[in-house]
Amino acid sequence: MTTLVEGNIQITFPGGANVRKFDDKSHGLSHCMKAVDFMVEFGSRVSFIEIKDFDHPRSEKREELIEKFKNEYLDNDLVYKFRDSFLYEWAYRRVAKPIDYWILIASQALTKAHLGPRSEAIKRKLPLAAALHGPIKKQWKQEIVARCGVFNISTWNANFRNYPVRRI
Amino acid sequence: MAITRMRFSQFAAFAELDFVASRGINVLVGANGTGKTHLMKVAYAACDVSKTKENFAEKLIRVFMPSARNLARLVRQQQTNSAELMKRRVAIFRDDRSLVALFPNPLVHYPSYVMGSDEAVIANTKEWCAHPLESVYIPVKEMLANAPGFRSLYTQREIHFEEIYADILDRAYRPPLRDPMDHNRRRLLANLQQVIGGEVETVGEEFFLRSEQGNLEFTLLAEGTRKLGLLWQLIQNGSILEGSILFWDEPETNLNPQLFGRLVEILLELQRMGVQIFIATHDYVLLKELDLRMNAQDQIAFHSLYRESENGPIALYTTEAYLDIHPNAIAQTFDCLYDREIERSMRGGE
Repeated sequence: MTTLVEGNIQITFPGGANVRKFDDKSHGLSHCMKAVDFMVEFGSRVSFIEIKDFDHPRSEKREELIEKFKNEYLDNDLVYKFRDSFLYEWAYRRVAKPIDYWILIASQALTKAHLGPRSEAIKRKLPLAAALHGPIKKQWKQEIVARCGVFNISTWNANFRNYPVRRI
Repeated sequence: MAITRMRFSQFAAFAELDFVASRGINVLVGANGTGKTHLMKVAYAACDVSKTKENFAEKLIRVFMPSARNLARLVRQQQTNSAELMKRRVAIFRDDRSLVALFPNPLVHYPSYVMGSDEAVIANTKEWCAHPLESVYIPVKEMLANAPGFRSLYTQREIHFEEIYADILDRAYRPPLRDPMDHNRRRLLANLQQVIGGEVETVGEEFFLRSEQGNLEFTLLAEGTRKLGLLWQLIQNGSILEGSILFWDEPETNLNPQLFGRLVEILLELQRMGVQIFIATHDYVLLKELDLRMNAQDQIAFHSLYRESENGPIALYTTEAYLDIHPNAIAQTFDCLYDREIERSMRGGE
């Protein structure tokens, strides 16, 4: 069992999981590439995990934060984090298993109804194979991302019993 | 024989539009005033005249109800002096068959031996009508509760109702088909009965819901139940059948979102039976139910109608992938709600 902390959020991974905390500091390319918080290899799949703690953000000016949490900036930030992390792994020749992208947005104010459209927007922008249309749909031979979803703490814990999170 | 394509030039809401339809379900999305209803009305008028053999232009007038029944009002008032008819037209296609209407320029005075400003040239009517299409247009406003007397009033007097309202009642009053009902239709009707709690019965011109508790007149039913009751009636009397075309403007109105799933299952089932469907919707839940319930074999096209700029011409983007719908006015509304929630929660009690 591995327990890691991101800001004020603690996440626990099961024994068999190979977990890397993978953020801008550890990957050494923060000047040019963004990074998701964790990469977890478990069984036949890899999960990229990003945690956004809206209720306890790191110290920044509030007006800037509001802009960063709004859909346009947030969606793009989450998409580029995934794509840069993917490229980083690709350059290492470590992309072998299907990759899922799971995002936790810890916020009391945001319900499932608010987060559903975020899931869809990110799926659309990554893009997921399901968002492809026309000839590309058949011509792309590989998926960039297999599955993706945005959760709050309670929907996360209901869906990922293997990776429980809690606020500390 | 499904509608396969529609081309508009300077007609109704459209400057130039080329619409390629799916043989299954066509979902029209877009802000108000982007022509969703116009598109469905034109297609419906074309389907209806294939059966009634009426003049297409006259049907368009009765379905759109332009002021003073003036056809020229449906043609876009373009500041051009071109008298050429090809510039203002509508063409509806079913595979290689087409029905074409050419309209005069409202700004040009044509010599009387050519045509009057209230006339149109209709081409290919004979071939079009050689294979009649069964079609149904369910308007936004529910009509069954107000049906008694409406049809006779409509035929005898000039009342200001688009003909879709009289037409839907004609369909609803049809007696059941003589042919035995197949398994699929029986199952669909049983599903609908579960939701509405009974069967629809017509007594004279009045519609009732017959349940174990007795007969309940439509005026006493919830609007949503009336709507599904109408669907039951249309499936039961064979107006909606394999090979027919269903147009449904905003099926979500007056329906509790909890029922959208059932409604979408019924639409998918009808599509699998070979009914071509056109729906216009503003509703996220309805769209999402379609996305979640459709399978890989289902034929669904999402058509997003939009304007590039505020007064710009209407454009179209068609896709089979729900996530690829763009622009998506419905999703944008939810993004906006999300942003406002962020703003409120982070500003607290300011």
